[in-house]
Amino acid sequence: MKRFLRDYARSPAAVVGLLLLILVIGMAGTADWFFPRDPLALAGRPLQWPGANPRFWLGTDNSGRDIAAQIFHGARIALLIGLVATSIAVGIGIGIGAVAGYYGGIVDDVLMRVTEAFQTLPNFLLLLVLVSVFGSEMSTVVVAIGVVSWPAPARLTRAEFLSLRSREFVEACRTLGMRDRQIIFREILPNALPPVIVYASVVMAVAILLESALAFLRLSDPNVASWGNLIGLGRDVLRVQWYVSAIPGVAILLTVLAVSLVGQGLNDALNPRLKGR
Amino acid sequence: MRILSLAGRRLAASLPSLLIILIGVFLLLQLAPGDTVDALLAQMGGGGDAATTAELRRFYGLDVSVPVQLGNYLWRLVRLDLGFSAIYGKPVSTVILERLPATLLLMSASLSFAFFFGLLFGVIAARRVNGWQDSVISTLGLLFYATPSFWFGLMAIVLFSVHLQWLPAGGMESIGEGFTGFTRVMDIASHFVLPTLTLGLIFLAIYLRIMRASMLEVLTLDFVRTARAKGLDETRIITRHVLRNAMLPMVTLIGLQAGTMLGGSVVVESVFSLPGLGRLAYEAVVQRDLNTLLGIVFISALLVIAVNFLVDLLYARLDPRIAREGS
Amino acid sequence: MELTRRAAMLTSAAIAASVNLPEAALAQETPRRGGVMTVHFATEQRILNPSLQASTGVYIVGGKIQEPLVDLDAAGNPAPCLAESWESSADGLTITFKLRQGVTWHDGRPFTSADVQFTAMEMWKKILNYGTAVQLFLEAVETPDAYTAVFKYSKPMPLGLLLRALPDLGYVSPKHIYEGTDIRQNPANTAPIGTGPFKFVQYERGQFIIAERNPNYWRPNLPYLDRVVWRVISDRSAAAAQMEAGQILYSPFSSLALSDLARLGRDPRFEVTTKGNEGNPRTNTLEFNFRNPILADIRVRKALAHAINIPFFIENFLSPEYAKLGTGPIPSVSTDFYPTTPMPQYPYDKAAAIRLLTEAGHRPGAGGVRFTLRLTPAPWGEDIGLFSTFIQQSLGEVGIRVEIVRLDAAGFLRTVYNDWNFDLATGWHQYRNDPAVSTTVWYRTGSPRGAPWTNQYGVADAEMDAIIDSAATELDPVRRKARYADFVRRGNSELLLWNPVEQLFLSAFSRKLRNHANTPRWGSSSWHDLWIAP
Repeated sequence: MKRFLRDYARSPAAVVGLLLLILVIGMAGTADWFFPRDPLALAGRPLQWPGANPRFWLGTDNSGRDIAAQIFHGARIALLIGLVATSIAVGIGIGIGAVAGYYGGIVDDVLMRVTEAFQTLPNFLLLLVLVSVFGSEMSTVVVAIGVVSWPAPARLTRAEFLSLRSREFVEACRTLGMRDRQIIFREILPNALPPVIVYASVVMAVAILLESALAFLRLSDPNVASWGNLIGLGRDVLRVQWYVSAIPGVAILLTVLAVSLVGQGLNDALNPRLKGR
Repeated sequence: MRILSLAGRRLAASLPSLLIILIGVFLLLQLAPGDTVDALLAQMGGGGDAATTAELRRFYGLDVSVPVQLGNYLWRLVRLDLGFSAIYGKPVSTVILERLPATLLLMSASLSFAFFFGLLFGVIAARRVNGWQDSVISTLGLLFYATPSFWFGLMAIVLFSVHLQWLPAGGMESIGEGFTGFTRVMDIASHFVLPTLTLGLIFLAIYLRIMRASMLEVLTLDFVRTARAKGLDETRIITRHVLRNAMLPMVTLIGLQAGTMLGGSVVVESVFSLPGLGRLAYEAVVQRDLNTLLGIVFISALLVIAVNFLVDLLYARLDPRIAREGS
Repeated sequence: MELTRRAAMLTSAAIAASVNLPEAALAQETPRRGGVMTVHFATEQRILNPSLQASTGVYIVGGKIQEPLVDLDAAGNPAPCLAESWESSADGLTITFKLRQGVTWHDGRPFTSADVQFTAMEMWKKILNYGTAVQLFLEAVETPDAYTAVFKYSKPMPLGLLLRALPDLGYVSPKHIYEGTDIRQNPANTAPIGTGPFKFVQYERGQFIIAERNPNYWRPNLPYLDRVVWRVISDRSAAAAQMEAGQILYSPFSSLALSDLARLGRDPRFEVTTKGNEGNPRTNTLEFNFRNPILADIRVRKALAHAINIPFFIENFLSPEYAKLGTGPIPSVSTDFYPTTPMPQYPYDKAAAIRLLTEAGHRPGAGGVRFTLRLTPAPWGEDIGLFSTFIQQSLGEVGIRVEIVRLDAAGFLRTVYNDWNFDLATGWHQYRNDPAVSTTVWYRTGSPRGAPWTNQYGVADAEMDAIIDSAATELDPVRRKARYADFVRRGNSELLLWNPVEQLFLSAFSRKLRNHANTPRWGSSSWHDLWIAP
């Protein structure tokens, strides 16, 4: 563990990423303390520039809401979207990938056909359909993002399982008479997990970007203070009050950057073969 | 001939996926609130009475049960008939053929752009690993990756079209100018610069990361050491031996991401008012135009399958081992 | 209430000024021939024929190619177009139109009363939205000669109503193209053939529509323009950028973002104005679902209205240039019908709102919340989105939690007007010159389930129905106006529906345009006298 931390800390980029991520988590944690009011409540005149009014140091948006409050509360939503959608995607992915990779044969064939079907269909298109069908409540949006993002983790898990299932230790478990479920979850999965976890950072980054793209098309939940919604709203005032979409844009950019850097840092630290590059 | 039979087999293997997608999307859209007649009523702004509304539902084939509608659709599909588009009032195949060029152009331009510069920057970064070039390129790559594409597109329009007036703000070509031949090609090209950049940047970021990583991996392999030991020129080693091997993961990725790219074009086409498939798909969802949406799903699935097929061919050329197995 | 009346007078004065004084300095210029008019086309339409679909999205294109029997002049009065004159029998059952002679369709065939008869009976009465209601009692159109069309009604038809309806609902289509075909599938629906100043050339879906000068147009030596090109641009920001880059000269019907319109309005190259849109006023609505027992209580409805500070909303979120306090379903620009006496109003009064809510038995519970309502905003119009957020914020202040349910157009219509699955809804009521066309249906019971923008709120008010029915067949203009004042009074006092904001569409014009915005429905009109200065 210590070596892992040392390896991780060796990359300045990874450290920066971690600091950024801590900052975002800190914002999410302190949102209620700094901004106890509902971030969607009317705070003042709309479209006050950052700094123009000392009460709103990041200004107000076109609905007269405090942008700073929305950024802080939005950090929660971003992390929530990222974590929940990623858990769903990785969960489904691991389940399907593990079963397909472990059993092979016809099970693998069928599951891979389904996976292919999902990969063949442009994921954003499927997301659009899902949101128009099931509505744009945040829970629906998050689940929908998770549902369109699972094929890649599934393929990754399957590949790991394919290479691991014929190893000696798995054979040994089989001879010992362990049940399939035990072998899959107790024995193989822990070994197959690291690359999937690293890939989860990519899924998380994409999930946050997908929500913002939905919000840009005005298809995300208007009842929560998400950064994407703020960008979508700011799109109408883009040319003059560009800060309304620029500020949450930067917040998204930094969060996605943080997640990617941490993911890369983990990858480098976990992958000793490439150490030192 | 061998390629054709390969393609045929590939297509046959994809048929189940294709069927799953089409039936899945069809059933999914049945659950959507409102149908295409509701969307039409919204456009009309009201005033439709019950009789005309019922007649419209009959006109769009919505008066029969869902299984019958699905059966009708699949039966038509067997005869390669994609049906009639509710929004556009002509056969879906015609509508899609009109929209295909813009999307194909956008996708191939973005792909080439991302591939070429991803390769270039990936190689530079890998060769100067941990140097300032590497830092700059890697940082830029991460920034591109983290930038929402619609935001980049809008900002690019503000800068290049409105303030600098270098490039057109949207559309596919100048209308009513009567350009022909070379001028027309240049005109269209100028309209595609910003959309290509917008769609391509995120993929550029991905490709350069992958390229850099796989370059580094290949550089540690034995045959490179051998080549170096032989005293071969470094540039020669890179172009002859390393590049070829390092490109494999990138090529794989293109196949995997063809669908993602098509999805990304929804947003880009909407920002730049391009008459492509992505925009059409969004329109079809909002207007509940089932035939058009299913047609797009069908065509884009074929497109993804075709790209993957090309990737396989390319892969075979790049990786001598596979080529040998094949022959 | 004094304020509203003065405001109304100011507006009508402003309209009179705007339409009667077309920029005096420019009046001296000699019209220039030639040039291409480029227009922002925000939403693609399934058809372009205005005899089959009455909406601004169709008029903006089809209105240049086809023409109505009657148009509006600069002052907003009925003016001859394809019909030269008209008269009504004393009983209101027969209305006779004398048609213009020497008019030809774009394919060279002559325009005759047979075309009018065919369009009226097969399209206006059977297919055209709002047309089917207006022409409900149309029995036949007789054609004693090629240039006379006699409309026979089974119930009295007020001539004023018909003349105010016809500019929008009176476009004529060629019989020889449509007769004996499936009208809905006719290729001319997307490649219209008309008598107008411009001939349809080409429609590239998703890209553009082109129409060119009709050399045989019946108004001599017109039009001035060579071509009209409509550019399909669905993204508002992209459209504003194209306007600034000079790629479009006109963006109609508030199709740009409000902030871009405000910005362009300050730019000397552009003119942003409500001029030319006086014929298309609209009110923002707040619709209550009476099936929800909370909302069936009039005290709650009044409390909701009192809790929302409309002047603040207009001042800070919209602009007094195009929006003002609404006073009822009939907008103040409709001088023929706008009530001359004050009507019941619910001005901003937070204390009153809280008192009414408490009276109705809704005390604050956990977190100060009295109850929760779902608000379903229509997905069109930036102001609707802003208004729904403002409602959410305002009602939050008096302890009513509002959850916004965001749906696309099809989902909105289905959920609100067919499934009745909402508590509050907000959108636009579009007023179409006469309350009988598209206003009273919001209040009258008996519309079939699923008919959008009709009374689907689960409320039946017998007195209201009686007022509406008697006004619709009242032939005397003065008594008719009085009946519609009763209509507004009843609607407001029962608060069956709230019309808190009244708005006009904004147009953005290039300063190069001349003779633009010179009628109250200019965006829909034929543009035969439009020209472009160098």
